[in-house]
Amino acid sequence: MNKHLLALAGLLLTALLLFGALSFWPDGINIAGTTLNTPTFAETLLAPTDSAPNTTAGASQTESESDAPVAKQKTKPLPAPLDTAAKTILFIGDSMLEGLGPRMAAYAKQNGHTLINVIWYSSTTEIWGKSTRLQELIATHHPNYILVCLGANELFVSDIKRKRQRYLDNILSQIGQIPYVWIGPPNWKPDTGINDMLQASCAQGTFFLSNGQHFDRSKDGAHPTRQSAYAWADRVCKWITESSAHPIRLSKPDFEKARCKTIVYQPQR
Amino acid sequence: MNNLLNISTFCHNAVAQLGYDPSQPLMFSSGLFWVLFLLFLPLYALLRNRQTQMMLFVTAFSLLLMYKSSGWYLLLLVATSLFDFFLARRIAASTDTRTRRTLLITSIVLSAGTLVAFKYTNFLLFNLDAIIGRNFQPLDIVLPIGISFYTFRTISYVVDVYKNKLSPTDNYLEYIFFLSYFPCLVAGPIVRAVDFLPQIRQPRRLSSSMVWGGMWLVMLGILKKAVAADYLAQYVNIAFGNPEGYSGVELLMAILGYTMQIYLDFSGYSDMAIGLGRIMGFDLGVNFDSPYRSLNVTEFWRRWHISLSLWLRDYIYIALGGNRRGRTRQYINLMATMLIGGLWHGAAWKFIFWGAGHGAALCGHKALMPWLKRIPDTPVVKFCSWLITFVIVSLLWVFFRADSFEVACEVIGGTFSRFDLAYLPVFAQVRNTWCIVLVLAFALHYLPDGVCADLRRRFIAAPWIVKWVLFVILVQLVLQFSAADVQPFIYAQF
Repeated sequence: MNKHLLALAGLLLTALLLFGALSFWPDGINIAGTTLNTPTFAETLLAPTDSAPNTTAGASQTESESDAPVAKQKTKPLPAPLDTAAKTILFIGDSMLEGLGPRMAAYAKQNGHTLINVIWYSSTTEIWGKSTRLQELIATHHPNYILVCLGANELFVSDIKRKRQRYLDNILSQIGQIPYVWIGPPNWKPDTGINDMLQASCAQGTFFLSNGQHFDRSKDGAHPTRQSAYAWADRVCKWITESSAHPIRLSKPDFEKARCKTIVYQPQR
Repeated sequence: MNNLLNISTFCHNAVAQLGYDPSQPLMFSSGLFWVLFLLFLPLYALLRNRQTQMMLFVTAFSLLLMYKSSGWYLLLLVATSLFDFFLARRIAASTDTRTRRTLLITSIVLSAGTLVAFKYTNFLLFNLDAIIGRNFQPLDIVLPIGISFYTFRTISYVVDVYKNKLSPTDNYLEYIFFLSYFPCLVAGPIVRAVDFLPQIRQPRRLSSSMVWGGMWLVMLGILKKAVAADYLAQYVNIAFGNPEGYSGVELLMAILGYTMQIYLDFSGYSDMAIGLGRIMGFDLGVNFDSPYRSLNVTEFWRRWHISLSLWLRDYIYIALGGNRRGRTRQYINLMATMLIGGLWHGAAWKFIFWGAGHGAALCGHKALMPWLKRIPDTPVVKFCSWLITFVIVSLLWVFFRADSFEVACEVIGGTFSRFDLAYLPVFAQVRNTWCIVLVLAFALHYLPDGVCADLRRRFIAAPWIVKWVLFVILVQLVLQFSAADVQPFIYAQF
C-alpha cells in the first residue's frame, strides 16, 4: 500500500476517532468561556430513531400546514373552562411587542388584567434561554399568565433544532407551571424551522401560529404596520379565549390601544 | 448511555444514512462523505494499479454516492453512458458523413433531451401557461444530481469522436468510470474524455506531492465552501430575502458578500473535487484562477469556471461559427453562447438575463477593443479596468442570486437610493465576524500566486502531525461557523 495514502488514511481515521469521541458531548465543550461545538455523529448513529413523540407537544403539523391561515389551524377547541379571574400578565418578546403591546394593553385594561410588557430588542430564544432574566421578571412581578412573542429574529437560522432547542426548553422550564401562550413570529419569508420547533415544544393549546396570516408590513418589510399588529393581537386574543389551553377573559376593548408598564432592554451585543 | 450504545440502533442508523435522501445530497464537506472516503481509501490504494478492478470499485463507489442523492435516477446516467458508448463507436466505425451526422444528432438529442426533460420542463410549462393564461401546476420532477455536468461531459466525448479528435474507447467500464467519476459528479469540473481516458490507462504513481497536494486543495476547498461561503451566505440570504428592510450600505455589503460567496462556493467545491482526484492519482486541471483579478469581462471568463467556459467556447461558440463569419455574426454567437451558459445554470429567466448581461459585456468589450488598445497601460488605467469589470460582474450576480427580477432591482436600486455611510460602522460593529470573513476572503483572493504555491509546498513538506493538527483545526472551524448566526437586523433600523 502506498505510504502516502496510508498516512492520509491514518490522518483521517484519527481525526474521525477524535471527533467521534467529542460527539458524545452534544452541547459542546466549554473551554475558557468559549464553547467548542461538537459534531453530531453520536446522536445520528446511536440515538433511537423511533422515539415516542413529545407528549407535551401540540397538535402535530406538517410543513404545508404550517403555511395555512389561522382559520385552518389544526388546534382543536379545548374543553378548558374560561378563567374569569383578573390576571397579572407578563408579556415578553422582541421588537414585535412594539406593535402588539399597546393593543394587548387595551385588552388588559378592558378586562381588568394587569399587563407588563417586556421588550428585549433583537432578542431570540437563545438570548432569553441563556439568561435568567425571565426568572427574575417572574420573581419580581409574580405573573399568573405569560405571553411570549419570540422567533422573528430566528426565521433563517439553519439547523435550528440543534442550535436552539435547548434554549427554548430553558425558557419553557423558567415559565414552569404558569399558564402561557407563545405567539409565533409573523413570517415575511418561509422559515427554516422555528415554527415547527415551537409547535413541537409548546404544550398543546399554547402555541399560536402566526405564519400564513395576512400582515401589512411597515417600511422594513418585516414588522407588521401598527394597524396590522393590532389586528394580529385581536386574532391572538380571540384564539386564547376560544381555543387555547388556558382561556382567560379577553373581550374586545372599546378603545384601540392603551398604556401599561413597559420594560425595555437594549440588544445584546 | 446503555440505551445509546445499542448495536442494532447503530447499524440501523448507519444503513439509514446511506439511503436515498434527495434533501441531503452528499457533499464533500459532510462528515458522512469523509467516513465513506476513509473506508474507500485503503481498498483504492490496493487496487489502484489493477485497472479493471480499480474501475469496477470506483464506479460502484461513485454510483453509491449518486444513489444517496438521486436514488434510482442514477440509471439515467447508466443509460446515457450505454447509448453514447455505442453511438460513439458507431460514429467512429462509419465512413459515411450522413450516417455519422445522424448518429451525432441522435446522441446530442438524447443527452440534451434528457437534461431538458428533467431540468427545464416546469420552466417551459410555466411560460407556456403564462402565455395562454392558464394556472401553472408544476410537475413533480426530481433533478438528478450532476445531470448538467455529466450531460456536457458525454456530449463533448461524442462530438470529439465525431471530429476525429479522439478514438472511442472500446471498454464500456472505462466510459462509465469516466462519466460517473465521483469527484466530478456533483459540480464538475467538466473534464473531457480526451484528457481523462488516457489517465485511466496509465499506472498511478502517487507521490507525496500528488497525495498531500491533493489534500491541501481539499482542505482549501472545505475552508472556502464550508467555512467562508456558508457563513457569508447567512447574511446574504437574509438581506436578499427582504431587501426593502435594509439600508444602502447593508445592501452593498450583501452584494459584495454574494460576489465573494458564489466564488468561494463554486471554486471551493471545485478545489475539493480536483484535490480528491489528485489523491487518487488523476489530474482534473484547474477550474478557477482568481477571477476577480480580471481587468475585463473576457479575462473574467478565462478565469471563472474554466472547464465550463472552454466547453461553451468549443462546443457552442465555435460550433456556431465563432468569429469566422464577420463581426455581427460573432456578436450573435457570443450572445447565444452566453444565453445557453446562463440557462445551463438554472431553469429561470434570471439566469437567462444573467447570461445575456455577460454576453452583452463580452460583445461590448470586443467592440471597444480597437479603442481600448490605444489607451496606455498605466496602473490607474489598470485599476479603472479592474473596477469596471468587478462592478459589472458583481451587479450581474445580483440577478443570479435574487428570487426575482423585482428583488434584484430592489437590491440594486436600494443600494443607491438608501445609501448612507453612517450605517457602515454600525454594520461592522454588529456583524463584525461576517465583515472579517469577507475582508479576509478578498485579501486571500488577491494574494500573489507565489504565496499560495509556497504555502502548498510547506504543507506537503510538513510533518504528519502538523498536517493532522491543521486538519483538526479546519474541521473545528467548520463546526464553529456552521453553528454561528449572523444578526438579521441592526437595532437602529428596527
